[in-house]
Amino acid sequence: MAAKLRAPGWYRAGAFTLLGIAFCFGLTTLIRALYSYDPLIDGYAITVVAMLGAPFFFLVGLGTFDYWFYWAAGRPTRAEDHSSHGAKSWRDYFKVNTDHKVIGIQYVCTSFFFMLVGGAMAMLIRAELAAPGAQFVNAQTYNGLFSVHASLLIFLFIIPVFAGLANYVLPLMIGAPDMAFPRLNALSFWMLPVAGTLMLLSFFAPGGSFATGWTAYAPLSTDAPLGQMMFTIGVQFAGASSIATALNFLVTIITMRAPGMSFWRMPLLVWANFSTSLLVVIATPFVAASQFFVLLDWALGFNFFNAARGGDVLMYQHVFWFYSHPAVYIMMLPGFGIVSEILSVKARKPIFGYRMMAFSLLAIVVLGFSVWAHHMFVSGMQAWIRVPMMITTAIIAIPTGIKIFSWLATLWRGVLKLDTPMLFALGFLTMFTLGGISGVMLAMIPVTIYVSDTYFIVAHIHYVLFGGSLFTIFAGVYYWFPKMTGRMYDERLGKIHFWLTFVGFNLTFGPMHVVGLQGMPRRVADYAEQFAGWNLFISMASFVLGASTLVFVWNMVASWRAGPKASSNPWRALTLEWQVSSPPPIFNFDAVPTVVGGPYEYGVPGAVHGIFNSPVEAKPAGSLVTRPTKE
Amino acid sequence: MEAASVSHLEHDHHGPPEANKSSRVDPAMLGMLLFIISEIMVFGAFFTAYFFIRVVNTDSWPALGQEIPWAIAGINTLILISSSLTLHWALHSVKSGNRFAFKVGMLSTFLLGACFLFIQVNEYIHLGYSPTESAQGSIFYGLTGLHGAHVFIGLTLLLMVTVRAFRGHFSAEHHRGVEVPGIYWHFVDVMWVVVYATIYIL
Ligand code: HEM
Ligand SMILES: [Cu+2]
Repeated sequence: MAAKLRAPGWYRAGAFTLLGIAFCFGLTTLIRALYSYDPLIDGYAITVVAMLGAPFFFLVGLGTFDYWFYWAAGRPTRAEDHSSHGAKSWRDYFKVNTDHKVIGIQYVCTSFFFMLVGGAMAMLIRAELAAPGAQFVNAQTYNGLFSVHASLLIFLFIIPVFAGLANYVLPLMIGAPDMAFPRLNALSFWMLPVAGTLMLLSFFAPGGSFATGWTAYAPLSTDAPLGQMMFTIGVQFAGASSIATALNFLVTIITMRAPGMSFWRMPLLVWANFSTSLLVVIATPFVAASQFFVLLDWALGFNFFNAARGGDVLMYQHVFWFYSHPAVYIMMLPGFGIVSEILSVKARKPIFGYRMMAFSLLAIVVLGFSVWAHHMFVSGMQAWIRVPMMITTAIIAIPTGIKIFSWLATLWRGVLKLDTPMLFALGFLTMFTLGGISGVMLAMIPVTIYVSDTYFIVAHIHYVLFGGSLFTIFAGVYYWFPKMTGRMYDERLGKIHFWLTFVGFNLTFGPMHVVGLQGMPRRVADYAEQFAGWNLFISMASFVLGASTLVFVWNMVASWRAGPKASSNPWRALTLEWQVSSPPPIFNFDAVPTVVGGPYEYGVPGAVHGIFNSPVEAKPAGSLVTRPTKE
Repeated sequence: MEAASVSHLEHDHHGPPEANKSSRVDPAMLGMLLFIISEIMVFGAFFTAYFFIRVVNTDSWPALGQEIPWAIAGINTLILISSSLTLHWALHSVKSGNRFAFKVGMLSTFLLGACFLFIQVNEYIHLGYSPTESAQGSIFYGLTGLHGAHVFIGLTLLLMVTVRAFRGHFSAEHHRGVEVPGIYWHFVDVMWVVVYATIYIL
């Protein structure tokens, strides 16, 4: 036991967490004693301090910081013996591991866990809304449900699952043996369960879970019950995790590409994550700061949002949306990358306008910072900001449109293989376009004033986030499933999953446009009699949609355990990750490959992307092919 | 190291292949620079709050009846700037192999930084108003406190480097562990000049 408590792992993590809570208890009480506050022992103060402090103790106990402590103390660091590479049983996924492939799977599984939890909350929400009046939950619980639903799905599903998929495939795609900072990578992952646990625990807080929406507008949030702090602090951990991963991706992409892998030979998934990471590094600090303000106001009585003492409530919205508009692209650009890979491979055609695809990603990064106040048209902000924001918002649809047309041109006269990943990619293309159209409508000030805070917004965000992001996530998971697990998924179940999702999705969220235009407000537990018909319909459809997820989960679990073995390159793709075995060898490559051509030369006779020689033999571009990767 | 890795792997591997270096920038340095960008953005958000409270709301600055001690903070600014100079000297010394000057440089940098933090805390104690009285007070404490937290992080990094310096680490060839925390410290200093200029002087 004593040895177990000394070695990194769950025992030590548990012990350290307790220690952390005790420490925070002591610290808070000491400070209160010094200031002679009354009462000396204050449960709320201690809980808030412990929510900030105990996670660090947990992470230290788990062992994410061990190496750095040795380094900092100038002691001999444990030489990297690669003992933490690879996972030999499912237990290894519950340990701190520095292998990007293990971390990738940890990320994907953890975020899908939170997706299922958040999805179950959506089912409760729809059950409540199936008829007017109160069904199952009271208004306060309802507010809590939709708030936690949105926060989990945004901060603990869509953002991290993309980071997880990219964690797995990105180093392989650029011919790197791992990420640039493997230990930081492990730390980034382990901050996620912390954030998610905090948010879920808020249901047990006195006063219930946080109930201010995922936007947590001040001053509603600054005088909400304790549960609010679990959002505020949870977001800090999720945000720190994203920033650390984004740094890691950027440094990996810039410094670890294989010889010959110039920026203009990078697969678009790499480009997409490059752009996303830039957005994360620049924008995410703003949401961290906005939540710091709330924390300071809530816990220490600061006056950032106290208008009576000179505070400014609109400032919250400016800071929040300065992050959260770019964040919608953080939730979309990696999906653009996934779809580009899949469409090109499954249509057996080069990507149309490869460079425009990359440039439009960068254009979105830049323009994404100029539109934030389109979320504030009805907030009462200075009127002169509106029109410029309307114009920039309309402009940002242009690079997005360029991408849509490039994908369509890629499909043009291609030999389409309509398997599950491709179906989801095509589903994305159609649904996201619809979401983009409602987005442009919302950018128009008169329209937005009319439908603001109605179900039209809910329809828009689900067309872009579910029909957009989630469809690309499904596409990506199916596409790389053989590579990640070494087994094939069940194609028939995959197709059933797609059609159930596609139909269920449209029946659920399509009618929301209608009830929204008719004026049904969002974020309210009850509604007028006139909306009853549509809402019952929507609720029924949403249960189909919920059930479709079970098909997916079953397919993944059963195929991972007992699916047929996958070959190294079942899709006949050119990108590097498919040129190694499935799953890839423990260090990805015996020798780093040499890249001699573009990644999407499908249908081009004799086209080669990477060559796999031993390092001495490999010659740069133009040399003869040894192991062909052509079609 | 190589031999150890073979023993527990079924594959006939010898550890990961050497990654290709596709850029001349050092990964650790690049990582630190990107981190500094996101730090700048955190400050950017706090300056946004400052802008709204002071400029958009057109309230008095500082709040009526309060004073901002610009003179003491000015001395503190000089202290912080000189710590950047000593740090630069320390780095220069380790590069040219002068270990004694390196150790003195690191130690004095650390002490100057600690001195800054001490004076800052003292300023808080004698200020006579708290962040709870007005939004102006909130953002004053918010920005200087945020900066103070960065000084604290920077000092922790410097302490590590100093400890390692006295333990005989680093050499004329290997001094990345000094350079990377060093760039962070310079960032903290520059940030202070901005904070000082906007909060105390303007
Ligand atoms: C052509 C592209 C897009 C345009 C022009 C657009 C425009 C807008 C506008 C103007 C609003 C504010 C509506 C209001 O509150 O009155 C909005 C809300 C929203 N959009 Fe988009 N959007 C676009 C794409 C996206 C994408 C790609 C995503 C995410 C992947 C997204 C996610 C959201 C979310 C989550 C909200 C609601 C935020 C809230 O109040 O809770 N949008 N969009
Ligand atoms: Cu937006």
